[in-house]
Amino acid sequence: MEHRWGMAIDLDRCTGCEACVAACHAENNVPLSNPEQAAQGRAIHWIRVDRYYEGEFPDVRIKYMPVLCQQCDAAPCEPVCPVYATYHNPEGLNVQVYNRCVGTRYCANNCPYSVRFFDWFEPHWPAPLELQHNPDVAIRPAGVMEKCTFCVQRIQRAQRDAKAENRPIADGEVQPACVQSCPAEAMTFGNLNDPESKVSRLAASGRATRLLEDLGAQPKVFYLQRAK
Amino acid sequence: METAVGIRADTLRNTLWRPLSGATLGYRLALSVAFVLGFWGLCCWGYQIVRGIGVAGIRRPTMWGFYLVNFVFWIGISHAGTLISAILRLTNAGWRTPVTRAAEAITVFALMIGALFPIIHLGRPWVFFWLLPYPNSRLLWPNFRSPLLWDLTAIATYLTGSMIYLYLPLIPDVAELARRTSGWRFRLYRLLSLGWTGSSRQWHALERAMKQMAGIILAVAVSVHTVVAWDFAMAVAPMWHSSIFGPYFVVGAIFSGIAALLLAMAIIRRVLHLEAFLRPLHFDNLGKLLFLMSLLWLYFTVAENLTAWYGNDPAEMNVFTERIRGRFAPYFGVMVFCNFVVPLVLLGIRRLRSVRTVTITAVSVLIGMWLERYLIILPTLSRPRLAAATGFYSPTWVEISITASTFAAIVFLYLIFCKLFPIIAIWEYKDVVERGV
Amino acid sequence: MLLNAEFNDRQSIAAAIAALQARGFGAGGIEVYSAQPLDLPDGLLKRPSHMSLAAVAAATGIGLLAIVFVRATEYSYPVVTGGMPLFSWWASGVIFYEFTMFGAIAGTLGMFLLESGLLRRGPSIPAPNLTDGRIHVRISCEPENIGPATECLYLTGATRVEMVEKQ
Repeated sequence: MEHRWGMAIDLDRCTGCEACVAACHAENNVPLSNPEQAAQGRAIHWIRVDRYYEGEFPDVRIKYMPVLCQQCDAAPCEPVCPVYATYHNPEGLNVQVYNRCVGTRYCANNCPYSVRFFDWFEPHWPAPLELQHNPDVAIRPAGVMEKCTFCVQRIQRAQRDAKAENRPIADGEVQPACVQSCPAEAMTFGNLNDPESKVSRLAASGRATRLLEDLGAQPKVFYLQRAK
Repeated sequence: METAVGIRADTLRNTLWRPLSGATLGYRLALSVAFVLGFWGLCCWGYQIVRGIGVAGIRRPTMWGFYLVNFVFWIGISHAGTLISAILRLTNAGWRTPVTRAAEAITVFALMIGALFPIIHLGRPWVFFWLLPYPNSRLLWPNFRSPLLWDLTAIATYLTGSMIYLYLPLIPDVAELARRTSGWRFRLYRLLSLGWTGSSRQWHALERAMKQMAGIILAVAVSVHTVVAWDFAMAVAPMWHSSIFGPYFVVGAIFSGIAALLLAMAIIRRVLHLEAFLRPLHFDNLGKLLFLMSLLWLYFTVAENLTAWYGNDPAEMNVFTERIRGRFAPYFGVMVFCNFVVPLVLLGIRRLRSVRTVTITAVSVLIGMWLERYLIILPTLSRPRLAAATGFYSPTWVEISITASTFAAIVFLYLIFCKLFPIIAIWEYKDVVERGV
Repeated sequence: MLLNAEFNDRQSIAAAIAALQARGFGAGGIEVYSAQPLDLPDGLLKRPSHMSLAAVAAATGIGLLAIVFVRATEYSYPVVTGGMPLFSWWASGVIFYEFTMFGAIAGTLGMFLLESGLLRRGPSIPAPNLTDGRIHVRISCEPENIGPATECLYLTGATRVEMVEKQ
């Protein structure tokens, strides 16, 4: 059975600690930026934690929302790329092919979730962080688009291991870096094609919603929150 | 209908053929300045390629900035030739003859410059040819469903068509030029004239071809700017995803095209002493057309903004308020002033309409239309659907330099064109004069 | 044998050609050279033009080629994007339209070159000098017809008739 990778993020558990952001940077060789670049809108965070404030002090409620590539089934970013640098693989992942990207940035403009990031210059890590690169992940050159891949290198490793051992991938065996590092265990990752997997059950629960549902992009990241 | 019956053959000879020989100091100065500025733009582009596109001011979420604004602006300017040449030719408006070649030249050069910008704005411009379908061993193919590929085919077709449309009426004049010159010019003109002898067979074929091309180029021009508009309209971004964009951009293109043509006419009239040919009548007629397009542009602007405001869609309203009341409000005000108020006053009031005021209005419209492109692209990108990604754009010296250098580039190309070919289609002009149309 | 006649105004041209044709000179042997296009009345030196047909034919041909090309290649490189079909008439429609227009342009240009006879490399007879604004009529005729032709031309208003050697 083909996998269909999806994620569930429990907003009632998220504390906004941003361990997922740090883990993603480490796992995926995401370039670092300084405060000037961040102020200029050049910072790259494949997963980011958006903060929304509701109410006036002292009744302020903060909602933390980790936003990452939603791996939409009807992704608006895909049809507009003139060189097919982004397309859908059979396991439902929205794949970004760095080698193919010519840098028109149309996909980023068409992404309603603003989850796509561009490499404006050659990436640079201050010493000694360049020694910490993950060898499984390509380092993107200047001029290409990048975004969350659901840690496709971890998915591929699990698939290789499972095939070598002649067994299916167990539920919870594949964990992207963000899911693995969340101290509140707010994030769940798994196969949406398997109705018994944890993520499928969470996605089918009454607390599950999706971001910008009415746009019809069919995202595969489910946000769980108390129904108001 | 005024005719220029009083123009003698030697006046024609002196004013129309004379600019082609010799170069005044003013000409050399203008050419040098244009060249230096254009070359500076090329250097900036080279710097951008070497250092990375981050030297431009674009950022997340405003992934498109000045370069796309310029792209749409210059493609819009390229509709000058189409309107004047094609539409006025099809409607047999005799007064058009002194301006057809100037208009067609603007079209070709503006297209060439506009077509550069999709390459300039790429993150990896050295592999821009990946957008072309060429056989390769890596199973790679362009995506024909992407509006950017539509852009490519549309602009390539329009460029080919307008170059042919500029060239065809040039043939008889080039043949005449071959008779009058020697040396490398003679060889160039003889090559370009394709052996034109002026036989009725050739005239018949030429007139048929020109009439046909006028119709075809009109169809292509409408489609080109519609396709450029669909770069934005096909996206789901708030206030881009609007079905009005196609016609809106075409109207805006014709509007800015007429303005560019009027400015070019005013300059060559003064510089080349063509007051007898580019008469107040032409400025008056084109001024009236400009005014009409201003009203049409206002109609589309009101329609687009009113429907967005009335619909009160939250994502659209974010963009709308940013554009009308937020950070872009001053630019919006200047745009409406330049595109509507100035034409209304200077062109709408008959007593105020003169060559000078029409030219002033043309400059004002060019500024306003550039701002209009800016206000279409940037507010939407600044206020994305997920508010946490809001961000604002400011250009860097690289983008400003390249923008300025494109104006210098078209001046440069135009100056060279005026020196090589008569800017007024002499055979067409004399033909109309003799027939008393 | 070529005869070259100079006329000063357009009106006499039509009379001259009509007279020549009445005398029996075929339209294929008569040619008029002018610095501006002449509006001759219908029937005189009428040459049927196939330019619109060529444009339509080329447009249809190249348009169809584009459709076949896009469809065949989209299926050769099956890449899924946005959950949408591999080949879409509407999404590729613009490209078909532009190629159709390109075909029309190419057809017009091609037919123009063909019908005008430009780009032909053959024995060239020097073209008459049109700088002074005069209109020239050239007839190719047999040596025995020179007399009647010359008479005809002078009667209809030619200012000068001379022989040009056919090379």
